[in-house]
Amino acid sequence: MGELPALSTAGTVGEKKGEAPKAPPPASRKTLVDWLGVLPFFLFATMFLFIPSFSIFIRSFEKLGGGFTFDNIIALFTKSDIVNAYKTSLTISGVTALLGGVFGFLMAYAIVMGGLPTRIREFTLSFSGVASNFAGVPLAFAFIATMGNAGLITRTIETWFDLDLRQAGFSIYNSLGLSIVYLYFQFPLMILIMAPALAGLRREWREACENLGGSGGTYWRRIAFPILMPTLLGTMVLLFGNAFGAYATAYAFSGSFINLVSILVGAQIQGDVLYNPGLGNALALGMMAIMATAMVIYLYLQRIASRWVR
Amino acid sequence: MSKPIDRREFLKVTGAAGAGAAFLAACGGGAEAPAGPDLSTGAAIPMEELIAAAQAEGTLTTIALPHDWANYGEIIETYKTKYSMEVNELNPDAGSADELEAIRANKDSKGPQAPDVIDVGVGYGPTAKAEGLIAPYKNSSWDTIPLKDAEGYWWGEYYGALVFEVSKPAIENTPVDWEDLLKPEYKGRVAMAGDVLKSNQSVQTVMASGISRVGGVDDTVESAMKAAEAGLQFWKEMNDAGNFIPVIADQGRIAAGETPLVIEWDYLALANRDALAGNPELEIVVPKTGVLAGPYAGGISAYAPHPYAARLWWEFVMGDEGQLLYLKGYAHPIRYNDMASRGVIPAELSEALPPAAAYAGAVFLTVDQLNETKKYITENWRSVVYGE
Repeated sequence: MGELPALSTAGTVGEKKGEAPKAPPPASRKTLVDWLGVLPFFLFATMFLFIPSFSIFIRSFEKLGGGFTFDNIIALFTKSDIVNAYKTSLTISGVTALLGGVFGFLMAYAIVMGGLPTRIREFTLSFSGVASNFAGVPLAFAFIATMGNAGLITRTIETWFDLDLRQAGFSIYNSLGLSIVYLYFQFPLMILIMAPALAGLRREWREACENLGGSGGTYWRRIAFPILMPTLLGTMVLLFGNAFGAYATAYAFSGSFINLVSILVGAQIQGDVLYNPGLGNALALGMMAIMATAMVIYLYLQRIASRWVR
Repeated sequence: MSKPIDRREFLKVTGAAGAGAAFLAACGGGAEAPAGPDLSTGAAIPMEELIAAAQAEGTLTTIALPHDWANYGEIIETYKTKYSMEVNELNPDAGSADELEAIRANKDSKGPQAPDVIDVGVGYGPTAKAEGLIAPYKNSSWDTIPLKDAEGYWWGEYYGALVFEVSKPAIENTPVDWEDLLKPEYKGRVAMAGDVLKSNQSVQTVMASGISRVGGVDDTVESAMKAAEAGLQFWKEMNDAGNFIPVIADQGRIAAGETPLVIEWDYLALANRDALAGNPELEIVVPKTGVLAGPYAGGISAYAPHPYAARLWWEFVMGDEGQLLYLKGYAHPIRYNDMASRGVIPAELSEALPPAAAYAGAVFLTVDQLNETKKYITENWRSVVYGE
């Protein structure tokens, strides 16, 4: 997770574009110092983003044992288990990004605008900070212990209602179950990012709207949503990437029994019989392509959404 | 330092990976080759010299040796105290494939993350040898090991058979054979102890169910492949029936009742039974048919940072003392027959195992059969079982 450092830059690049022409060209010495300041970032991005991405690209065309081949790329579109893995990964990421986005937004709204006592508000925000980083092995175990076959909730329901949930076909070890697990960190992340954005909506705007005869609906449709839209979209792309790249959580949850792209990459790189790093790289390249597409769509939408904010 | 020939070439010429490791060490830090007995021949080194050389290294790095697996906890502890060595244990939960990957990934590194010795499913031995990942060493008990590589690259250590480990309060009727596991009463209850794409144990689990279905195999690859196909079909039915829980069972999950019916090596199941001590009560069942013996093989990394400590480890583990420690952990030591004929096995150890009659029909697969079926099962697991 957290493999989207580019997202924050994307946001600032968009904003800077608007400012740049206005600012007078600064003295050349100052520019040099400015560049020095961002140098560590570019070094970091080169070493941990660009070089690895480039290496993934090159090695996607590598045969097992060396040599050039298109087989790995072709396999992405022809091998049914790979196609299915992409479908599953996309579905889980899409669904959890959407649900996390919508309900996280509503929750953030309730916290910021709902007039909750400060203490509850503070508590919810701190909790979100912790929960949004609760992932990997501990998260998987937490869900197994509460909702697994012998989990606390499962067993409680079984005892109260005298049911056998397993006989009824209930299991959290499937993609729906994994989606629930992912939502546990998707939700709070959305709250965490949306809460300050919502708090940034000025009371005066609403009052101005009301003074001009606009209803609550008009305010949201014409003012609040357009202002929030870039943040909303950006965060949903972040949630999507968060779920799409997750490996440790899924693996601790159900081994490689749920067919995800990240799990397949792991099997190609670590497995013995399945060992084919070229295909593993090609799979990762596919993931990068999907993430890049998501980013482009995001940038495009953000451009439309933020047109009048500029 | 100049490199007159490249590394691979050098290894080919000498055929001696131990020397190769020394060469690498020399290239890396300008350090001298390990002073000590010759490693290139793979011949047993006299114990006194070996102990001295190992103690000079001071540490042994192991991988994938869980303490509750075949009594490895006690084996490691005894090795430490007996020879005054340190043991650096890497990822105890690694699968056979992960172990080979650890060697591959650390070819050029002598750090604490590079394993010296490996313990892999016997099918992985030839793979590792073919890739040049392991070095030959014929320890002093070599002649009495019934299962081994002729050139000394890998050797059997111990074996067990796959059994059903049944958590008693959760499962009322104990299954006695593979087909029983498909019954509706076991819905959402059957689990494997590993990941089919990575773990030898799980691949063998598929294989054993198939052997039960086809009624046994002979020593041809064809008959083993039929069993592998039948095995995948068996697990497809298991999954379709909703009986299979796709979660990797371990002692904690068995204790919690998360995975009440697990297929596992007998020594692991028996060790779990002892460790959980009735909470919950575990019943261990050797299935009526499809009793598949799974030997594990030992080897020494060709890039071992501590080549002498590694060889001392195998002298200890493959000697009577180490072999009896396996037996204490309910694993059948590979030199069982030799030790039995010499009368060195204490009666209470052999009596603690399930009755020998249950293992009478146990199937030992050949290395070719293991490799072909492993490949077939891992490559087709998803498409057959999940229809993907």
